[in-house]
Amino acid sequence: MKKILLGLLLGLPVLGYSQSFQVNLQGQKQTAMAGAGTGVALDEAAVFFNPGAVSFLKKNGVQAGISPLYLKTAFRENGSNITEYNKDKLATPVMGYAVFGNPEGRLRFGLGIYTPFGGAMHWNEDWTGKYTVTSLDLQAIYIQPTISLKITDNIGIGGGLVYSMGKVDLRRAVPLTLNNGQSGTAKLEGDTHDFGWNAGIYVKTVSGVSIGVTHRSQVTARVKDGDAKFDVPEALIAGFPTKFTAELPLPATSSIGFGFYPSEKTTIALDANWVHWNKYKELAFVYNNNQRVENTRSPRNYHDAAALRLGIQNQTTERLALRAGVGYAFTPVSEGYVTPEVPDANRVLLSAGIGYKASEHFNVDFSFLYENVKARNETNIETGLSGEFKTVAYIPGISLSYKW
Amino acid sequence: MKSHYIFKSILAVAVIAMASCKPELKSITPSKGTADFSRYIAVGNSLTSGYADNGLYLEGQQNSFPLMIATQMKTVGGGEFYTPFFREDQSDGSGHVRLASFTATGLPVIVPVADKLAVRGPGPLYTKYTGELNNYGVPGIKLGLITFAQYGNLNPFYERLLPGVPPNNTTTYLDFVTAKPFTFFSMWLGNNDILGYATTGGASPADQPTPKATFTALYNLAASKLMMGGGTTAGAAKGVVSTIPDVLTTPFFTTVTLPTLLKTVQAAAPTITALWITTGTGTVRAATTQDYFLLTLSSANVIGTGAIPYGLAPQNPIESKWVLDKDEAAVVADYTNAYNATIKSVAAANSLALVDANALLKEYTGTGKMVNGATVSSAYVTGNLFSLDGIHLTPMGYSLIANEFIRSINGKYGSSIPTVDVTKYRGVKFP
Repeated sequence: MKKILLGLLLGLPVLGYSQSFQVNLQGQKQTAMAGAGTGVALDEAAVFFNPGAVSFLKKNGVQAGISPLYLKTAFRENGSNITEYNKDKLATPVMGYAVFGNPEGRLRFGLGIYTPFGGAMHWNEDWTGKYTVTSLDLQAIYIQPTISLKITDNIGIGGGLVYSMGKVDLRRAVPLTLNNGQSGTAKLEGDTHDFGWNAGIYVKTVSGVSIGVTHRSQVTARVKDGDAKFDVPEALIAGFPTKFTAELPLPATSSIGFGFYPSEKTTIALDANWVHWNKYKELAFVYNNNQRVENTRSPRNYHDAAALRLGIQNQTTERLALRAGVGYAFTPVSEGYVTPEVPDANRVLLSAGIGYKASEHFNVDFSFLYENVKARNETNIETGLSGEFKTVAYIPGISLSYKW
Repeated sequence: MKSHYIFKSILAVAVIAMASCKPELKSITPSKGTADFSRYIAVGNSLTSGYADNGLYLEGQQNSFPLMIATQMKTVGGGEFYTPFFREDQSDGSGHVRLASFTATGLPVIVPVADKLAVRGPGPLYTKYTGELNNYGVPGIKLGLITFAQYGNLNPFYERLLPGVPPNNTTTYLDFVTAKPFTFFSMWLGNNDILGYATTGGASPADQPTPKATFTALYNLAASKLMMGGGTTAGAAKGVVSTIPDVLTTPFFTTVTLPTLLKTVQAAAPTITALWITTGTGTVRAATTQDYFLLTLSSANVIGTGAIPYGLAPQNPIESKWVLDKDEAAVVADYTNAYNATIKSVAAANSLALVDANALLKEYTGTGKMVNGATVSSAYVTGNLFSLDGIHLTPMGYSLIANEFIRSINGKYGSSIPTVDVTKYRGVKFP
């Protein structure tokens, strides 16, 4: 089962994004509740949302899900009358979790495979921002073995080691004209293998409110010996690099979440996330040949950013649960630093979903998330690209779970 | 059953939402403002004609900045725009140059392209263009010559636009461009009134700067005549004029310098520390970094040749035609400033839109400037801005000019002509 899941995950081209290149689609129940889930013990996805809550899950189980992500960005250069759109590309972030151990005991184990960072932005090869980027495919899949301990009947702690497998493929046009009149192109491709961790504490208070606090560490994705493929005029190619190194911080996230239970059938989850984006100061590429291209240090200067998420679940019938949520994510991107590979801005999240208990063991959950990213008009300090971006994303999702 | 229904409903909503989910930006209302672009004419010299790579040829004409502007004007009521294109089978026009390779030391090897010339006779004379005309750009024309009746017998680029043949042409350029009514004009003249002096190293008696007073008088005359729109009513046409760029910032004068020349010489003769030049006044002296050398000097391969090595000894100095010495450079700067002062004051006095091309091109000197992620600079060959002749622009360079004209027109007349996408245009073609 693990092998199949892993194979499935690695074989798929992943992603879209949810706050800059952070992806928040780690569980269908939680996604249907605007991504809240730190302070509640909903299901196996607690491995991601709060390892401390894993020991409070009433059953063991496995689940696998997918959230096909359709994201559309419009761009219009200032002064122009032409609106350009990114290409249609359905990204498919997947997630899988397993929780086992004795549900009556204090110690539980979990395994999570999920994609907390990624991006799949593809512009036309000759769009007006081609010299900044034509496409970016970025994915970091985290594999997280987890241990969770119920210290008392009301307090659980948990933690997991994160092994991150990353992939990056960045393409852009090079401002040198080939003999056929076309621009040159550059393609930078590399893999990363890095470590991090995820830890959380879960408390059921006497008032009935549950509280979760978690911290997912930063993972610094390092590309060593990545392939730099330059398609440039023959007369110049000898001066171009073939290899590069780069580093991308996948920032830490600290969260606090609350669970409220106004009735036996209703759960309200409220989350606040603090994403430590300030570590993303620059995107630097170091090349193995600097005769024709300098090493680049593109300033990003992100700042920390918060997200607020409120979700509700109602167990309408014994078999059917309805969910809805609303959220707001603040952009980490300061004015003058918006780039077309991640045209980020503050965004509103609206979500809904249903869960259906098909049998004693089988559950199916659907979610639908709508993200409306605010329009943003500015001039990039580094590239001079000046114009307005507007993005919307539509993300349906489904997961199947088996519990015992 | 109920859940089944809810599930189906959610799916249906999702599908409909995704199908209609393209984000929309606020729409732009096209407006011509207070101007009328129904017949736009472009008056000017080589820069207006699309001249590049040391020649006028079809691809250059197709990437002229007036054609770019006219194409964009169509969104706000602009009419057809006709360029005196060379025919496809004569697409090399006057002939031009291309970059063939680099030498072992990295110097560009520039070779002529003359496969499909549009030459119809000795002189050379070029194949005549007949038909509608909006781009009146004539390479080589000086403001000082726009009222010279014999000019059509002297400049083959002008001659090809006229019905007559030498020596029978008597139409002045100014009369020619205003012969048919028009509603809008661009005028970018004045560059050649100082350029010829500069590119001949101040050494050509035929290419002395146009006197400042003559320049002012003719600029006023041209502006007032153009504003009549080909008729007799002042204010019938609106327009845009432009300052002239300081040629001393172009690669024609900034690529070959005393340090680069000395470096080449010293590779073979390490003891040489000075180059000798003949100044405009006939003095022979050692060159300084304040003297300018012409781009064409390096490809002429003359330095160090001869019994007394050319340029390396005071007995055989570099001729004045290769050098714009410090004093000559001061003359160029002085005339450029004076001409530009005139252009600005005429624009202001007549409420014409003004492009400061001089200021614009200066932004790209040194390490240059990022344009939509592309580095654009006035570096020779690699800078994307200047074509292989080091004075005229690449299609990308012309597109930057077109956008500056468009912004200036929009600013003055409240129109909404859209800018062009600079990244769609090429720089120097590499082998």
